[in-house]
Amino acid sequence: MTELTTGIVFDVREFTIHDGPGIRTTVFMKGCPLACTWCHNPEGLDHAPQVMRSPMGDRTVGRRYEAAELGELISRQASILESNEGGVTFSGGEPLAQARFVAEVIDLLPGVHIVVDTSGFGGKDAFMALARRADLVHFDLKVMDPVAHRRWTGQDNAPVLRNLALLAELGRPFVARVPLVPGVTDTNENLTAIAAVVASQPTLVRVDLLPYNRAAGGKYPACGMTFLPGFDEDRPPNVDVRPFRRAGIEVRVA
Amino acid sequence: MNERLEGLRARTRDGHYRRYRQPGGPDLVAECNHERLSWPRRMARLTRRMCEAERVVIESDELIVFTRTLTTVPPVYSAGDEAALTVGRTLHEGGLINNVCADWGMALGQGLLGRRRVARETRDRMASTGHATVIEFLDAAVETIDAVLALSARYATEARRLGKVDVASVLERVPAEPPRTFHEALQALRMLHAVVWLSGHHHVGLGRLDQYLWPYLGADLAAGTLDTAAAEELLAEFFIALNRDSDLYPGIQQGDNGQTITLGGLTRDGRAAENPLTWMALRVARDVGLIDPKVNLRITGETELALLELASDLTRKGLGFPQYANDDVVIPALAAHGYALEDARDYTVAACWEFIIPGRGMDVVNIGAVSFPAAADVAVREGLAEGATFQAILARTGAETGRQVHERTAPYERLLWAPAPYYSALMTGALEAGVDHGQGARYRNLGIHGAAAASAADALGAVRRHVFELADVDPAELLAALDADFVGHGALRRRLADESPRVGLNESAADNLMRLLYDQLADACEAETPRSGAIVRPGTGSAMYYLWLARGRDGGPLAEPVVGATADGRRRGDPFGANLAPTPGTHLRGPISVLQSYAAIDYRRVCNGGPITLELSDSVFRDGESIRKVALLVRTFARLGCQQLQLNALNAERLLDAKAHPENHRDLIVRVWGWSGYFCELAPEYQDHVISRHLYADV
Repeated sequence: MTELTTGIVFDVREFTIHDGPGIRTTVFMKGCPLACTWCHNPEGLDHAPQVMRSPMGDRTVGRRYEAAELGELISRQASILESNEGGVTFSGGEPLAQARFVAEVIDLLPGVHIVVDTSGFGGKDAFMALARRADLVHFDLKVMDPVAHRRWTGQDNAPVLRNLALLAELGRPFVARVPLVPGVTDTNENLTAIAAVVASQPTLVRVDLLPYNRAAGGKYPACGMTFLPGFDEDRPPNVDVRPFRRAGIEVRVA
Repeated sequence: MNERLEGLRARTRDGHYRRYRQPGGPDLVAECNHERLSWPRRMARLTRRMCEAERVVIESDELIVFTRTLTTVPPVYSAGDEAALTVGRTLHEGGLINNVCADWGMALGQGLLGRRRVARETRDRMASTGHATVIEFLDAAVETIDAVLALSARYATEARRLGKVDVASVLERVPAEPPRTFHEALQALRMLHAVVWLSGHHHVGLGRLDQYLWPYLGADLAAGTLDTAAAEELLAEFFIALNRDSDLYPGIQQGDNGQTITLGGLTRDGRAAENPLTWMALRVARDVGLIDPKVNLRITGETELALLELASDLTRKGLGFPQYANDDVVIPALAAHGYALEDARDYTVAACWEFIIPGRGMDVVNIGAVSFPAAADVAVREGLAEGATFQAILARTGAETGRQVHERTAPYERLLWAPAPYYSALMTGALEAGVDHGQGARYRNLGIHGAAAASAADALGAVRRHVFELADVDPAELLAALDADFVGHGALRRRLADESPRVGLNESAADNLMRLLYDQLADACEAETPRSGAIVRPGTGSAMYYLWLARGRDGGPLAEPVVGATADGRRRGDPFGANLAPTPGTHLRGPISVLQSYAAIDYRRVCNGGPITLELSDSVFRDGESIRKVALLVRTFARLGCQQLQLNALNAERLLDAKAHPENHRDLIVRVWGWSGYFCELAPEYQDHVISRHLYADV
């Protein structure tokens, strides 16, 4: 008997209009190897289920699905997603951290447009497995300087850049998504460095700049966590599209 | 919106026009008693005296005039005489016909002089046959027509005196004669409509405005006498004017006044009815941004996406409209309930969501509610106490629904409408037949709300899952927990609430139960034949019952049963979802599954309307691309075969701030149950419910 592949999901949200083309449903995988200080989904960090407390009552966040079960859930609406220019986005947390499960779910959804929304941090095999199955990759690029990357996300960015390079090999189109965190990622130096890296990528579709949202810390108390951004939240982010325009890259501000 | 319109709008919102208001009104009882007038003649006298007592108000920048100055509509009988006259009869919401729609196209097209000629011809025809009631009705109708003509003449005279030649020349033509231009048509409509309010009627709908006004606009545009910008300005002024007196219009809450319009759809002979005025009305409603008129848009699964995008741009304004009705579903449902196909195609939406036929309908679309949670609660309690099977519990739920339908319907065997000579003159065929609309209208059916179906289906689903399938809940403990409002049974409550099928998640276990509830309601309505030829129309709305059925009614009696704690884990007093909405607190995935759940209902059997209510965060409406996605969502609603949809765009933080600091949010508009109102004018319990809906939507 084969072992069932299971995965842990912290939310399934429909009509996620910022997660790719058309009408989409996004599966948020629970657990992330990074610890970005600005993370607005703290319930996506820990792999284990946890209780969130709010004035509306407690609820347990994190549900274990069998691949077939999640595949069936999405299949029930697949025709709606397909006929509305959309599909399914796997986000997180970090889908690469549960690549086997995600791949199995995708294989149950033939014909459905797939976006994998990833930090790029993960093993090469995991990345290849998901990028190969995706119609479009949303690839986060945060901080180019390796030391600063480690400081703000807790991890080295070498695997990220290695995986980024694999996209060309796979011929997979991708959107580079850059969170504009005040004083951290939005510096002219960092944006120019990102532009330089992605400009050489033949499958780049465009760059999305995502200005930092003050509501990022909102869910930490409910998770029993403390939000420690470590940067000045009050400073408006430097929404500068010029480094990308100069490199001839299509750029949008979300 | 140019400077003139901005000025008109600002003066409307800041209460400027209240300075013209007159305290009190004409005293009619003594006069009517002295002259020993009959009831129809008294009602005509009311319209006449109100018109006579109205002060003429024309402000220097107005092109479409009439401002109401009388604040109250006086009685025509003493309280004692009225009680004696109506003893043993049921007066629906005061007894004046309401929540219907005139045949505005006909009334405009004939002009009031034309209507008077019809009345006279019918009178001549009937005079020899000695139909005293017919003669009296027609004479009363003529008296009201003459009153409106006299009021319009006074407005014309004043406009002439003020040197407002354009306004004067319009009023010298309409509403007496048929309009020749779009401007004249709007002015005529303003006058005819305002006098319906002045005669004491309420929820006065405006119907298929794009249909009956398009001939005038189309002709002006074709002749080159009006351009689109000038036409939009006139329409905007008309829309603003609808908000000028609306604080005087009665409803359950401020804003619940039924000044609705219905756009698009099909013509009576089945052709696509959408025209350039359909688009213009959506644009103008968006730009004016006031709560009246409340816009309904008739669509199908094939409606052009660009129209839905324009409509979604109106939703973005946060007014809570347009509300969508799906012709693919509504027309067959009306036809299946005895409406002639050409009338079914001609439907408009009443004050909230009910489908009615302009000029031909005198349906009482809201005789009350069936509480599905109460029906299920009785069945669950009695069934579990007796050790009944789950099938037996379902059957008992149906019987209980039938009992409630019968209770609500029975008083309407004795329905009595006050004579309505003026409103009747605007209806199809009333003057032609010499019969008041209250007695002679083609469709005089009753509508009933099947309320809070999601909570009842959730409760039944929880019982099936935990008592019958898993057997992990002991029936005796469940009954004890319900009696104790779950105090001391917290773990059981969580299991029922969190580990049971719920409506809104596209789970057949819950959705099929909901469908069954509506089938049972339809069965019960079919079993009732309250008056000859009338039927009971089952619907899916809730009106204010989503609170009343959970908490009782503050300061008033309530015929419907109020339920305590329910088997879905809901505690006593917790509100139900409004209309077709999942139970508050359900952890939803989003609108796709909600629409799929509600597609389970057999809408052919429920023709009284009642929208699926979806809340979207206003961040969804950020740009053209996301507006397009909202339009795709609306099209999905239609393609899934759902019946009616209300989409609300709001920001939970803004609502919370408005509750704390109303002075900063005077203009904040929200959809309440079937209508939109200013948030700060709502009673606190309605404010809280709106806030909770949006909090859940944002989680």
